[in-house]
Amino acid sequence: MAVITLPYRYLERLTGVDRETIISRLPMLGSDIERIEDDHVDVEFFPNRPDLFSVEGVARALRGFLGKETGLPEYRVNPSGMKFTVDPGLAAIRPVLGSAVIRGISFDEEAILSIMGLQEALHWAVGRGRSKVAIGIHDLDTVTPPFHYLASERTRTFVPLDYEEELTMEEILAKHPKGRMYSSIVNDFPRFPLIVDDLDRVLSFPPIINGELTRVTTETRNILLDCTGTDERAVRTAVTIICTAMAEAGASIESIEIEGVRWPDLSPAVRYVQTGDCNRLLGTTLSPDEMAELLRRMRYGAAGAKEGMVRVEVPCYRADIMHDWDLFEDVAIAFGYDRFPTGISPTFAIGKPHPVNQIGSLVRQVITGFGFIEVIPFTLSNEAVMFTAMQRPVRDDLLRVLHPITEDHTLLRTDLLPLLLEICQLNRHRELPQRIFCVGDVVRGVETFQKAAFVSIHPAADFTEAYAHADAICRELALPFTVRESDDPAFIGGRRGDILVNGKDAGVFGEIHPAVLNAFELEHSVAAFELDLRAVPGYPGSPGTP
Amino acid sequence: MDLTQNEKKLLMALAPLGSSDPPLLAELLGVPEEAAIQYAFLLQDRGLAIVEREVVKHYALTEEGRRYAEHGLPERQLLASFSGSIPMAELTRHPLAKIGIGQMRRKGWITIRDGVVEKTGTAEEGDDEAALRDPSEGKKGVTDLLKRGLLQETEEVSYRIKLTAEGTSLADQGIEIREETGTLSRDQITSGGWKDLRLRRYTVEKLPRRVYPGKIHPYQRLIEEMRQILLQMGFTEIYGGIVQSAFWNFDALFQPQDHPAREMQDTFYLGEKVCLPPGFEKVRDMHLHGGTTSSTGWGGAWSEEKASQCVLRTHSTSLTIRHLADHPDPPVKAFSISRVYRREAIDPTHLPEFEQLEGIVMDEGVAFRHLLGFLKEFYTRMGFAGVRFRPGYFPYTEPSVEPEVYVPALGWVEMGGAGIFREEVTAPLGLEHPVLAWGLGVSRIAMLRLGLTDLRLLYRSDIGWVRDTPSILSDQIPGGD
Repeated sequence: MAVITLPYRYLERLTGVDRETIISRLPMLGSDIERIEDDHVDVEFFPNRPDLFSVEGVARALRGFLGKETGLPEYRVNPSGMKFTVDPGLAAIRPVLGSAVIRGISFDEEAILSIMGLQEALHWAVGRGRSKVAIGIHDLDTVTPPFHYLASERTRTFVPLDYEEELTMEEILAKHPKGRMYSSIVNDFPRFPLIVDDLDRVLSFPPIINGELTRVTTETRNILLDCTGTDERAVRTAVTIICTAMAEAGASIESIEIEGVRWPDLSPAVRYVQTGDCNRLLGTTLSPDEMAELLRRMRYGAAGAKEGMVRVEVPCYRADIMHDWDLFEDVAIAFGYDRFPTGISPTFAIGKPHPVNQIGSLVRQVITGFGFIEVIPFTLSNEAVMFTAMQRPVRDDLLRVLHPITEDHTLLRTDLLPLLLEICQLNRHRELPQRIFCVGDVVRGVETFQKAAFVSIHPAADFTEAYAHADAICRELALPFTVRESDDPAFIGGRRGDILVNGKDAGVFGEIHPAVLNAFELEHSVAAFELDLRAVPGYPGSPGTP
Repeated sequence: MDLTQNEKKLLMALAPLGSSDPPLLAELLGVPEEAAIQYAFLLQDRGLAIVEREVVKHYALTEEGRRYAEHGLPERQLLASFSGSIPMAELTRHPLAKIGIGQMRRKGWITIRDGVVEKTGTAEEGDDEAALRDPSEGKKGVTDLLKRGLLQETEEVSYRIKLTAEGTSLADQGIEIREETGTLSRDQITSGGWKDLRLRRYTVEKLPRRVYPGKIHPYQRLIEEMRQILLQMGFTEIYGGIVQSAFWNFDALFQPQDHPAREMQDTFYLGEKVCLPPGFEKVRDMHLHGGTTSSTGWGGAWSEEKASQCVLRTHSTSLTIRHLADHPDPPVKAFSISRVYRREAIDPTHLPEFEQLEGIVMDEGVAFRHLLGFLKEFYTRMGFAGVRFRPGYFPYTEPSVEPEVYVPALGWVEMGGAGIFREEVTAPLGLEHPVLAWGLGVSRIAMLRLGLTDLRLLYRSDIGWVRDTPSILSDQIPGGD
């Protein structure tokens, strides 16, 4: 998530509103306040609103939301006369380039930090960790236009940022901290993206690192912006968000021609929406004029048009507006979530429990009747618990997760008994007897279904206890069951039984094998039982398949 | 004063003696010694007797201690092994050097300088050595020997029981001792013999032995409470698989294929793949260009391969969306409470698996204000005093809202997310009416209601905790509103 630091003084200057009002109203605009400090507040904005990832962007939105300045913010773009060429060899590597010239800035250290913060947040939210978009900011006065975006030899050398000597681009990927972090984005290509000026001096090796040559300092007055990437829409978003934020900070924006196309385009997109559609979605009764007024507070250009329509100009930096409903949400936010006349819809429906959970509830009721306590173990487990400790062979239909976080959680449980024994192990210091049970999902193959199991540990636990309870549970569940001697290695030979329902294996019970007790560090006998609930009458056919 | 039969017997046995010890009293009463002591304590509770407890400590040499008692402590033996001074390297070759050198130094018998050990000249017998010859309680040096594992301590407890003045005067008045009956036999009940029996009286002030009922886990009870609320509100329950295709878990919910939540770091992927359902092309088109709606779609590419990969469901919305695909006609009111999976490291507030509650309402004419109404109703029924709403963001809902509930000790607490499914989600499934949807972390409510600070306790059950947690929580009144 993008957490943006908002210094009060700067924000108060940009909005003309005091900090208390800002802090109290910010959440209602759509944000989470993370920390309130003496001189700033840290705020998390949602990833769909990268235009709020800068102090300037937040100020722009707040001025509208608080009624200080509403409607479309207009940004002028004068031609700079500069050009950028793009090497067709980049088509399969990193084809898209966006750019702009930003003049008349005055950076102090804080402003540099702010623009770097915006750059990082955009890399994360729009750029997908620089793979989709990478942003470079250069001191324009250190280089000579026109600029060239090339597919370069991998052995080309230049001095990367924070270094003093020249490195080849391959060396940068291997040595430079940024190179190591992002090398996977370009490493497989025969040539690397590179931006040079007309004197063939290196500005940037996108998406990895800029050259030291164009480093931005507090002396920098004019900026050349480059955004490279694989997705034109994302590149456009990054360019417009940076340009408009800089314009809000007092800079002027100039265009640059990339292969005949002028960048950036800061003009709004126009949409027509129906007031009726908005009212239907929100449950409101707004007139077109009221709706337009609310949209203007969210910094849209908006005016009522014919036949209940509203003409909306969407600011260029609002990349999240994909659909009419995105505009309607902003109407709702401007209206105020706290002001909605809430009510339950008259939708008539009769509640119905799912048969699987119905059966689960019933089984819980039956087993608690014997004095067992329910536990709810994890569904993620591991081979050592699920099979090795149980002396059971690893199942073929076992489902493993591809990238487990810990050795404890590498697969989905196929049975419940091992987890109950594990819980007994955790509770060795608790008073005996312990009679615990569990009802829950197991996974075999890709199918999820429910099982129930119990264990009873105490010095007198034995086969008879297991059998008597298993028999009682099966009778309570009206299972047409038969029993035959089992060969399950988790139990003692001659003290174990399989439960069959309609000739199919449905469960197992008996006295747990001492070697299994040893594996779980248990010191008393355990009577145990496990049942596949698919055998219970009324269990529906395979609701748990993908 | 109602004395039990046993107390009476003890009192009368003690009366002629004034004071006695348990072995004698046990013999007089014909009961085990422990029982006599127990009755004496009961008399003490009534102020009729005093039980004096005396503990005598005995010390015995351990095997190592016995060796040293014979030959001297290691430091003494070591000291005797050289005269004047000796190089450290040489001294360390002595079998007792390991223990002895440190002790000699601590006792100030030697100094070590430049690798040479030199006697200081003082090496009088210490308290520990005296105690080693004759260990008994209170002697200096015993503690040292205990610490060094050379002595073993055993405690002998003895009791002396004396009548108080009150006890004596009660015994002087004389006490009637008649046989008392504990459990009534069948014969005593049916024959009418019970009429002549003296039935033993029990003291109700004493708590009984603790027994533990079988019970539903407190967390399951909470889940059950939520199920009941939603069933009462007319919602149908959904159940589905833990394993879902990325298609149902992400794509059908209009999560772009390069969305960070879909990455391997956050989602448990499986090696398995499944076929995409018929009509998946509509979802694909929605991603690519917005299909037939006013949406622009995400643009970029969309891979069938990525959509057919299996994952452990990351949210129960994968179940509700499938339910909607199967039930496209209004009205639909459905919910599920299911376990979901996130690739998170375990700590007190994060687990790789936890329960999520999800509710949906699809009907003609339902609107955002109704969503807020349902949320308010649900949280009020869950017992939260206040509910308020803040704008939120979820990729598959628009508008989106984050409800917050008021918790007296904590203030406003964020409680899940909600919204109306985007048209990009509903249109490809042929749904023609808005779908109100909300989800919340059930374990979050469990932490608040059960007063937990560590979520792990819900899944790694401490049987003691389950036994001690009442079925009715203090803030919950059954049937109340």
